[in-house]
Amino acid sequence: MIRVTYRAKTGEEYVAEAMPGMTVMEAALSAGVPEILGLCGGICSCATCHVHVAPEWMAKLNPADDEEGAMLEAIDNRAPTSRLGCQVKLDDSLDGLVVNVFEVS
Amino acid sequence: MNAQEIYDPFNYATHENPYPYYRKLRDEHPVYHNRKNDFWALSRYQDVVFAARNFKLFSSAKGTSLEYVGELAPILIDSDPVMHTRLRHLISGEFTPAHVARLEARVRTYAQRLLAPLRERGEFDVIADFSAKLPMAIICGLLGFPEQDEDMLRGWTDDCVHRDEGVFEMPEQGRIATMNMYGYFEEQMQARRRSRKEDIVQKFVDAEDAGQLSHEESLGYLYILSIAGNETTTKLIGNMAWQLDAHPDELKRLAANPALIAQAVEETMRIDGPTHMMARTTTADIPLHDKVIPAGAKVALLFMSANRDERKYPKADEFVLDRNPKDHLGFGGGIHACMGAALARLEARVAWEEIFKIAEHFEVQKDRTQRMHSPQVRGFTHLPIRFTPRASAQAN
Repeated sequence: MIRVTYRAKTGEEYVAEAMPGMTVMEAALSAGVPEILGLCGGICSCATCHVHVAPEWMAKLNPADDEEGAMLEAIDNRAPTSRLGCQVKLDDSLDGLVVNVFEVS
Repeated sequence: MNAQEIYDPFNYATHENPYPYYRKLRDEHPVYHNRKNDFWALSRYQDVVFAARNFKLFSSAKGTSLEYVGELAPILIDSDPVMHTRLRHLISGEFTPAHVARLEARVRTYAQRLLAPLRERGEFDVIADFSAKLPMAIICGLLGFPEQDEDMLRGWTDDCVHRDEGVFEMPEQGRIATMNMYGYFEEQMQARRRSRKEDIVQKFVDAEDAGQLSHEESLGYLYILSIAGNETTTKLIGNMAWQLDAHPDELKRLAANPALIAQAVEETMRIDGPTHMMARTTTADIPLHDKVIPAGAKVALLFMSANRDERKYPKADEFVLDRNPKDHLGFGGGIHACMGAALARLEARVAWEEIFKIAEHFEVQKDRTQRMHSPQVRGFTHLPIRFTPRASAQAN
């Protein structure tokens, strides 16, 4: 099990217990994180799974590719730690990962 | 009228025009129980999104059709995590917008090849002459099936989605087609073992050898990709013709400005997308709108009703070219959202760019249209149009 914590602006925290190979978006849906919509199912098309990764975890993630980067650029509240949850695949090295999530506008 | 008759996807009249029934469900029965076939239906945008996202409460593992479709093979669309996770990520990277963008030239060349002989005729059947062939050619190219097999495969996939009126199961013809397809995929996989090719069949053969995929999972995957890659995009291109015919002003704008085609595709997906419904099975009692859907119940998620929900979209029944909706459920939502959505968008856009290169105006010949009959996919099998050829096109 890989534990992922989603911190909402409201102060609420959701913890997902994910299997290796799942993405941050899929794990969020399994934990019922309301801020992660995941409308396009993970084909990098809708940006409704946007997260800010906790800074201490950034170095452990594979960097975003060009396609994800282009999607991120179009997001209003993007930050240097922005990622699309559907493009971050989980493995055991990410056990304990913390991300911040936002109200979907 | 009995409540059970409000929504019956096995009644051919529903296929003709389901939208008044959907409205009645949204307004009066947001949690609807069809007693005749014992299933439930969700019709409001918010409720359908809730169910589509919540894959634990609304499971796909017992199938995504309401009716019995024979013994279920292990198939992506009919799976929950972790099986879903393993199957989907095996090839989902191939279907992102940037990846499918590489196919644009191929789609365009093929569309031009199909349209070239139709140019002088002034009329053609959008489905039979064009959109039935285009997506099949592209998906066959990706999977690695030879061109001469396309018509045969299309015949089989058509049989797989057809349902006889009032019959709550896959007809004999569909089961035979399913067997034929599995036999064909078996041969294709064996051929890859004898000589390698760079295609999806090869990918599955390699994944089997690497222990990532069982043989049955490979066959099931090829089955669903063949059907999904073909039926729905074919119908989308046809439904867009139908919508534009009904909205001549918007048609004119598109003909004059092809840059608007992508958003016309999006609005067509919202108001008249081909996939109307997918089923789930509840894993617990679900209280919703003063009702309780019991555990183990089949639930129809009515995507095309959700897309016409006035609670979500103002003037939801109107085709508005400038709406360009980003959050419609034409491709579903959540982890099972259409994996081929970017490819469908590309194919439909290029298809219409090419149609507008030969035609500056068209009208649907309404007395000669024919519909397919499926509880889940809605669209035409024949959609003849008469068009005004573009002067510049004729000069070429």
